[in-house]
Amino acid sequence: MNALRKMLAFIKKDFYIHISYRIAFLFEWISILTKVTTFYFISKLVGQGMLPYLNEYQTGYFSFVLVGIAFSGYFNTALQSFSSNIREEQLLGTLEAMLATPTKIPLIIIGISIWDFLFTTITSIICLLFGAMFFRADLSQMNLLASLLILAMTIISFSSIGIISAAFIMVVKKGNPINWMISTFSGLFGGVFFPIEMFPKKLQFISYLLPITHSLKGLRHAILQGYSFKMLMPDIMALLFFCIILFPLSIWIFKKAVNKAKLTGSLAHY
Amino acid sequence: MDAINIFELSKEFISIKSIYQLVLQPFQKPKPSLAINNISLQVKQGEIFALIGQNGAGKTTLIKILSCLILPTKGKIDVMGCNILKDGEKIKASIGLVGSDERSFYWRLTLRQNLYFFAALYNLSGEKAKRKIKELSCLLEINNYLDKRFQECSSGIKQRLSIARSLLSDPGILFMDEPFKSLDLPSVKNLKNFIKKILVEEQHKTIFFISHNFNEVEDFADRIAIMHKGEIRACGTLNDLRNNISLPLVSLEDIYNLVVNTKGS
Repeated sequence: MNALRKMLAFIKKDFYIHISYRIAFLFEWISILTKVTTFYFISKLVGQGMLPYLNEYQTGYFSFVLVGIAFSGYFNTALQSFSSNIREEQLLGTLEAMLATPTKIPLIIIGISIWDFLFTTITSIICLLFGAMFFRADLSQMNLLASLLILAMTIISFSSIGIISAAFIMVVKKGNPINWMISTFSGLFGGVFFPIEMFPKKLQFISYLLPITHSLKGLRHAILQGYSFKMLMPDIMALLFFCIILFPLSIWIFKKAVNKAKLTGSLAHY
Repeated sequence: MDAINIFELSKEFISIKSIYQLVLQPFQKPKPSLAINNISLQVKQGEIFALIGQNGAGKTTLIKILSCLILPTKGKIDVMGCNILKDGEKIKASIGLVGSDERSFYWRLTLRQNLYFFAALYNLSGEKAKRKIKELSCLLEINNYLDKRFQECSSGIKQRLSIARSLLSDPGILFMDEPFKSLDLPSVKNLKNFIKKILVEEQHKTIFFISHNFNEVEDFADRIAIMHKGEIRACGTLNDLRNNISLPLVSLEDIYNLVVNTKGS
């Protein structure tokens, strides 16, 4: 009960801070809608040329890329919000104040990023609805439950990488090779903007080592084609593997990092 | 029962290697610096205990160790009967911390929003939190500022907000790192009165505070410890300290200078 109350307090706090920057808040919405519109016109340009690569999804390029755009926000949030929020709390001096309260460390890590995930959820939904209503993206086949399951596993596996990079920030304060590496490789090999089938076979191997590939593949199958749980099993199992390995590892590494910062007395340093 | 019991506490910090050292002496171990050197100390419940010393004496490090924010290198420490290495969560629920830093609040939020957030972290529910915030803001005279953003408030108000936050959980011990530093003289007088009359005499809280200002310690603290270069050089009531140097009428500043200089620095 207390944990839930604390989570709500984190959400409220970050919501108030978020809306206190009114112009930035407005621009965020405009840029999301502009991005969807831009890709609609790119899809017109690409036309039928992309279809051979999209056989697997039985859809046009716009629907394919719309799912990529809508959910790539989660990857960025999961990868970056933990480390950037830890850094911000260090700069504000609030991290030490939070750690001085009887609040468990995992709760603090999740708490400082939960608003970002909620906001991303809202923007993803708006993004999908905007694409469906104004540009006729076909979402009628969607298997909602399967999509939610894949999304949850995506958030856990990517958040784990995000928490590991937050642990890095906790100790070295600035400079984050983990985030750089994962986001660069995910952007290129993850299949956000184009299908990974366009790569030569050897490069596709790299794609399959990244959780984003399985996540996007699963989400597209579930949203665009309404695949059943059974049909989605290969991607679900791959994501489950990433979750089981990465999540406990990330919490363990973060606790070690906090201990290290407590030993060096650098919790409040930045 | 002692509110705080420190036995042979030491804290070493490992200094970070510079780029020059990393390149030219990559395998040389960095020298540890001793921030606290083998100190033992007891603070009684309901006592106002002051720790005085120069910058870098180790006072803030000690308060942070007692608040479970820094881990000690050696020694045994009990706060409210709980060991700081084993019962961190329990200790955190029973102490309040007033830092010396103006940071540590959300600048875009109002004082009320800040207090509500930290109240939740101290496990205070809606109605309870509301009552506590009202009570504390009246006691600390910040009730007229509650709907102002933190960034719009003066240093004095920010300092009082920090004290209000530390009292949210009704802690048994209050650690205060230079609590009067941003306040004008009447505010210092009011706050001292509040701490002595309400927090100590009525609510029997223990106050452990750090100061550089000898005058504000002399008439306020029950006992005083003089810290220098990580060691406790003297500890006791003002009269004890005077008797130790056999000069019954000297000021705390003179005692401090004598203690620090005669025992070698």
